[in-house]
Amino acid sequence: MLLEQIINGITLGSIYAIVALGFTLVFGVLGIINMAHGEIFMIGAFIGVLITSVLGLPLWIAFIAAIGVTVILGYMLERIALRPLRGKQGVSHLAPLISTIGVSILLENLSHHIFGAGNHPFRHSFAQIQFQVGSITIYLVQILIFVISITLMVVLSYWLSKTKAGKALRATAENLETASLLGVNTKRTITTTVILASALGGIAGILVGMAFNSVNPQMGLSMGLKGLAIIILGGMGNVKGAMAGGLLLGLAETMIVAYGDSGYRDAIAFITIIFILLLRPQGIFGKNTAEAGR
Amino acid sequence: MLGDIINPYHLQIISFILINIILGISIYITLSSGQLSLGNAGFMGIGAYTSALLTINFDLPIFLGIILGAVVAGVFGILIGIPALRLSGVYLAIATLGFGEVIRVIFVNWESITQGSIGLSGIPHLGRELFKTFKLTGFDPDMLGLKNNQFIYLLVVLILLLVNILLVWFFIRQNKSRVGRAFAAIKMDEKAAESMGINITYYKVLSFTQGAILAGFAGALYAHVMAYISPADFAYHRAIDILIFSIFGGSELIWGAIFGATFMTILPEALRFISDYRYMIYGVILIAMMAFRPQGIIDVSLLKWFKKKLKLKRGGSLGIGTKKYN
Repeated sequence: MLLEQIINGITLGSIYAIVALGFTLVFGVLGIINMAHGEIFMIGAFIGVLITSVLGLPLWIAFIAAIGVTVILGYMLERIALRPLRGKQGVSHLAPLISTIGVSILLENLSHHIFGAGNHPFRHSFAQIQFQVGSITIYLVQILIFVISITLMVVLSYWLSKTKAGKALRATAENLETASLLGVNTKRTITTTVILASALGGIAGILVGMAFNSVNPQMGLSMGLKGLAIIILGGMGNVKGAMAGGLLLGLAETMIVAYGDSGYRDAIAFITIIFILLLRPQGIFGKNTAEAGR
Repeated sequence: MLGDIINPYHLQIISFILINIILGISIYITLSSGQLSLGNAGFMGIGAYTSALLTINFDLPIFLGIILGAVVAGVFGILIGIPALRLSGVYLAIATLGFGEVIRVIFVNWESITQGSIGLSGIPHLGRELFKTFKLTGFDPDMLGLKNNQFIYLLVVLILLLVNILLVWFFIRQNKSRVGRAFAAIKMDEKAAESMGINITYYKVLSFTQGAILAGFAGALYAHVMAYISPADFAYHRAIDILIFSIFGGSELIWGAIFGATFMTILPEALRFISDYRYMIYGVILIAMMAFRPQGIIDVSLLKWFKKKLKLKRGGSLGIGTKKYN
């Protein structure tokens, strides 16, 4: 029983980690919180529903389509909501936050209109395939989600630490002006970051569809808020912190559903936010700097 | 005569506008010291539930309930405001957003008291209760040529209008006082304000708490005007609504919040066919405002221009050129 719950928790947590990675990349490079990330994730999930359930195409096409659509959304987000505010005189630092809130309610209500308010089932051919290991049951879907998440995290870590584009991204995150003086095309790096984060959101959307078999327009909001909780837990802009924070939150939520009051499941993330911000604003894995929490 | 003009539906909308103006001022007042709080929907919920539960369960008079609702929201404001001082900007926005969601989840789950997501119904209606008192003193709306329900809604509007005028007057006075200047200094530059001897802790908690009290007050009024509340009334979307009032109207001046609340309440009512697309339009407005006019529709220079126009007009009509005196 406990072991099964842990497996459930890790499955959920690895999806959370992918969502949080999108948040943390954008925060690391741009220093802003992308409130629209949850909605981009939700659109990714709906693309998955369209491809697999409505059109009846295989799952890998759904992944490609979701990545394609979310990449376009990410580019538009950068061009319409973020770039006009950058480097403009007299724009408060809260402006990008408010403008991404605008994008998020626009996308949420758009999909509300297109797809309707209800739950959409996410059908795929191997939903019921399961393995019996001793006394515990593991679903193939869970293994698939876990493998995809871990692969994404490893590839992303490698890309960030070893490739030229990844180094450019980290340099931009460290200091935008210095990076641009050293010959990094910061404009392109920022666009790449937003697009990459959106694509991660799209993939996470399909993974959630696979895991819970239901997709609705409101899921973006709750997932977005949880993603925020995770990056605050793990330290803002910290890639490893986002992964660990995602797993922690996934485990914590599964445990409270199994052994506590399931009604308070969604509150865990927010209570975590408040306590972490008050006790350790730099996050569990964050470095203690004077800037943290400011 | 009076009975023909007055339409309960219009009065209802006016009372929503007046409540929304209080909410708009509540976010304006926290923004005026440079803090963005997205928890005002939560404070509003606290005020609404406190007042509704007290009046339903303990038969408290409505006025006492509303005041206690505002006070309880204010206490929560202090409790959240003091630790939240460590945070600023984006972090404060997230923490307060989290606070609002926690409050909503508590309302949903604490079923023995709040009835969960079904919500509380049968809350004493502000107008109807007052009407009963008027009836007791022997007053009859027929004397004014009004029907009973016209008179009830008119009473609500008049009370709200009085409250609004008092609040706006108070906050305009406050802006010109030591407190208002301290808020403005903190908003401009916290470090500089501190080195000038302004007690930042005190003033930041003060503005945060004022915002919480106002939001709780508006929430309590909302409960007694609607006579029904549910946790969904105080969710994330309400926080966005309140934010829009101030961002669209203008966050630098109190008139901005008032204009924003009025405009944003009338817009979906006046254009019924767009009310389905209301939140989509809100989203577009937020994006466009940030890109083109981040300070909001009404800002200091617009107000100055307006005053100048008004002066010129008045001067002209009296046949006195303003240039003569310069």
